[in-house]
Amino acid sequence: MIKITSIVLRIFSAVILLQTLRFNFTGHQDSVEIFSELGMEPSGRIIIGVLELIAGILLLIPFSIAWGAILAWGVMSGAIIGHFTQLGFVDGRLSMFILSVAVWVSCSFLIVLHGRQIPVIGHMFDKSKV
Amino acid sequence: MTSLAIDLHRISKFANYTIPFLSVLFFILGSNVSFYFHFLTVAFLFLTIVNFFYLKVQTEHALLRNFGFLAQGRYIIESIGPELRQYLYASDTEERPFNRSERAEIYRKAKDIDSASSFGSLKDFDTSEIKIRHSLYPRDQEDLTPYSLTFGEERGIKNTFTITSPLIISAMSYGALGEHAVRALARGAKLAGIPMNTGEGGFPKHHLKEDCNLIFQMGTAKFGVRGEEGNLDDQKLKELVSHEQIKMIEIKLSQGAKPGKGGLLPKEKITKEIAELRGVPMDKDVISPPHHNECKDKATTVAFLRKVQEVSSLPVGLKLCVGSFTEVKALVQEMIDQDTFPDYISIDGSEGGTGAAPKAFMDRVGVPLYPALSGVNKILCKAGVRDRLKLLASGKLVNPGRQMLAFALGAQAIYSARGFMMAMGCIQTLQCGNNTCPVGITTHDRSLQKGLDIGAKSIRIKNYVQNIEHDLSELLSATGQKTFESLTMKNLYVPEDSTLAPLLDNTTRQLSNL
Repeated sequence: MIKITSIVLRIFSAVILLQTLRFNFTGHQDSVEIFSELGMEPSGRIIIGVLELIAGILLLIPFSIAWGAILAWGVMSGAIIGHFTQLGFVDGRLSMFILSVAVWVSCSFLIVLHGRQIPVIGHMFDKSKV
Repeated sequence: MTSLAIDLHRISKFANYTIPFLSVLFFILGSNVSFYFHFLTVAFLFLTIVNFFYLKVQTEHALLRNFGFLAQGRYIIESIGPELRQYLYASDTEERPFNRSERAEIYRKAKDIDSASSFGSLKDFDTSEIKIRHSLYPRDQEDLTPYSLTFGEERGIKNTFTITSPLIISAMSYGALGEHAVRALARGAKLAGIPMNTGEGGFPKHHLKEDCNLIFQMGTAKFGVRGEEGNLDDQKLKELVSHEQIKMIEIKLSQGAKPGKGGLLPKEKITKEIAELRGVPMDKDVISPPHHNECKDKATTVAFLRKVQEVSSLPVGLKLCVGSFTEVKALVQEMIDQDTFPDYISIDGSEGGTGAAPKAFMDRVGVPLYPALSGVNKILCKAGVRDRLKLLASGKLVNPGRQMLAFALGAQAIYSARGFMMAMGCIQTLQCGNNTCPVGITTHDRSLQKGLDIGAKSIRIKNYVQNIEHDLSELLSATGQKTFESLTMKNLYVPEDSTLAPLLDNTTRQLSNL
């Protein structure tokens, strides 16, 4: 049961993360627009793109799920802050926001499920301890 | 504490307020100065959540509840403590069970590097250390009688077993050891011409692959020859001894590391193969019973011994750790009454090693080797039956110095386990029971076992054996004796304060004081 949930969440998050690469790396209009508003064009767009790519890969490799989830959690937190502070929720941006929140929640769950993989802090997640 | 000292409490409190504060700060900066600041916002937000969890949610660790994130440092440093101590802070004679100078001697022998030391001994030479008495007229090496010991000759059985080297690899079960280690030991034993004890791990599937002589050990759970209710299955025993590499059977009554308690294999180390070989479930620690089903008292023990001798038609020995000499004396008397003697008795000192044992048993139970060995030797001599069996010794006998002492106290051959492990590359990380052995010896993790190359390590075993034999024959020459058997306590200098002093008889004690 836990395994299925975990796989579903991982694939869901990885797919969303990886499909944004189309927009980020190809210099798509919408993407450039967003990052210009944030003042991160063009370097920020590439950096975020790379981080999302790494996070997506790490989420798919069974060994590094927790790391991928933390990285994706971080990037999505940044995205959510961006929406609240500057980007807003107009039209297409609303669906992007919802997706970000969805990935953010998935990754939170994944961190709790697979926290053991993290070297030092990981022991918090052992079953015998609270 | 001076006012210039660091107060960790105050630093922690400061950090616990600063982390959320910085999150807010970076958020403001991110919103008003540059979006790039939000990388830091997110990072500190994460830290805030972790810290909150430490301080308010978890209840296991008082330090974390009081001091939060920074207290994690204590746990981190504590966890690398053993390595720091072993490599940086412990002196050469401090570590246990084997200090660095003892281990260095083994490693050099295994790598066939000359192990001459310089300048002087690291020992104290105080009033409690036992020394070997050399002779003013040492022998030439050619004068020494070549070593030879034949088991089973007293009973006149057909399948006697003769060894030509005083060293035998002691019992380490497959289960405690991984496959690579077992095969490296077996191959090394074959190269060196010595036998190997299979340990109580059941049918010696991996040992048999390397064509060395084997001594099959029957632990209290009788893995490999187990019948209903834990009794001996005669048929299985007969099938086992049909393998001609199996030269002797050893009945394990107890071992020095956990005397009075059965064997222990932690569940982390039970692979599917082991579960099948031993016939045990995979999710629980395997705990062998504290005694053989058939051995409830001295009469039944000797009767069981006789049965194994008859069924197997091989030399059969007993392995035990001494607790009470009275019990041993009674057992010997029972042997005389039933006219049934083991072909050898192996005395394991309480300093013996193990893959896993409860700490109290390891530290506090059982008589150490030298008093135990000497005591049993005396009991057998006084009862007039010393010549009916052989006496073997084990318990930290990794270097020729200690081995010579064992010979002088009555042993006729030496069992060593950890000596061979260290020759194979063991670096004493004390993780044997966790399945995480970093050198691949006591683990079943494939990725760790690949570090142990069977061919290379078997050569180390051979080197170790040959260098020990060399040292032993030099030591024997120095004492002026021709055989190890002729060594007695008279060949030892035992000071008054030594633990062995009470064991000296009057004449030897008088000699000691000269």
